Amino acid sequence: MDTEMTYSQALSELEGILKSFDSGEADIDTLSAQVARATELITFCRERLLKVEEELKTSN
Amino acid sequence: MANEKHITLSELLADVRRTLAERFPLGVWICAEVGEIKENRYSGHCYMELIEKGDNDGTPKAKASAAVWRSRWGMLSAHFQAATGSPLAAGMKVLLKVSVTFHESYGLSLVVNDIDPAYTIGEQEQRRRQTIEQLTAEGVIDLNKTLDFPTVIQRIAVISSATAAGYQDFMNHLSASPYRIEATLFEAIVQGAAAEQSIIDALGRVADSEEEFDAVAILRGGGSQSDLGCFNAYPLSAHIAQFPLPVLTGIGHDKDTSVADLVAHTALKTPTAVADFLVERITGYHSEVEYAYERILTASSALLESHRTRLERNNALVHTLAEGLLRRMEVRLERASVELHHSVARLIEAHKARLERAEVKVEASSPQRILAMGFSVVRQGGRALTSADNIEVGNSVEIVFADGKATATITDKTK
Repeated sequence: MDTEMTYSQALSELEGILKSFDSGEADIDTLSAQVARATELITFCRERLLKVEEELKTSN
Repeated sequence: MANEKHITLSELLADVRRTLAERFPLGVWICAEVGEIKENRYSGHCYMELIEKGDNDGTPKAKASAAVWRSRWGMLSAHFQAATGSPLAAGMKVLLKVSVTFHESYGLSLVVNDIDPAYTIGEQEQRRRQTIEQLTAEGVIDLNKTLDFPTVIQRIAVISSATAAGYQDFMNHLSASPYRIEATLFEAIVQGAAAEQSIIDALGRVADSEEEFDAVAILRGGGSQSDLGCFNAYPLSAHIAQFPLPVLTGIGHDKDTSVADLVAHTALKTPTAVADFLVERITGYHSEVEYAYERILTASSALLESHRTRLERNNALVHTLAEGLLRRMEVRLERASVELHHSVARLIEAHKARLERAEVKVEASSPQRILAMGFSVVRQGGRALTSADNIEVGNSVEIVFADGKATATITDKTK
């Protein structure tokens, strides 16, 4: 995964995928790949949140 | 002429003697001025020359020798001095009771039997009063007193006799003091008939170097009491009154004040009193300076102390204020920190919720799940078919299930 990616970039990409799902435009052939990407993005974002939480705790 | 009747010189003078004795059998009171006076140290007799000055004050109008025998002289001189404050001296006007004696060899002589000091006192008093009146009329009597008198006198011109005991006492008192007072002697005769002019001359010499001195002192006396006449006379008193420097007198008498004392800036009884006066003025000034110095020290250290106290108070205040400020800032930071944590926690929670919803949606979109529900994907030439338009009867298609694939041939199509 791209290490340069920021949380907000990841989030906006995830939002884009979800929007294509909602609109029914998703291509069934790429759907699997898109779900995998979305799952990856969610994991990335969760890790970021967790990291921030931990940093806050130690900085206290 | 040689035949005429004659008497001898001695017969004549004997006749004069007899005539005089008959004419003045009881003695006679006369007033005269003492021209010269001399006491014979060995015999104890006193000899004087009596004069009466003429109107032009030059040559005497009358002159006679007089004697006081030792038997009278002791008593009369003591009485005179006790009454007038001065011994009988040249220049004095006196009232004497004399016997007129005549000796064929020695001529006329007066023998003094009594002296009336009241006359001399009256005479002196009158002379004194005349001098005062004249100085007052001329407007100079208080002139010397109006001169600036320095508090500290360190350069003093002294008019005295170098051998006078009073001068020595004066110098001894000055040198015994801790202060440096420069005394410059201007020699003068301070007793007898020549005194007046001598002192006036000395004053003139002081006036010539006036700017070298702060004041002038006229000193006399000590041991011997003598005639104060010149100090009551107009010429010397007038010189003193109009002298450009303040005049101090220490002319050693304790009876009346002379006119010289009256017109001087400061009159003192004795030369030592003059010395002590000068020293005391410096001592007084010295104490004032010391006191002022003490006050400056006290005041400045008090000022310093008050500033130091103020600084310390301010220093403490700065610390207190700074500590208070710091504490308030800490509280604010603490509050901000807590707020931040709460905000971040809320934000993270919101993101978590959002991610969860995304996950549910993503899961719902998973093709495996759709296939498991019983839907199948139909592919032709590898591409998924989404419409009946792209297929014809007889075409071969691939059907994809959740758990496998099957190949089928299209047998019918409705649209």
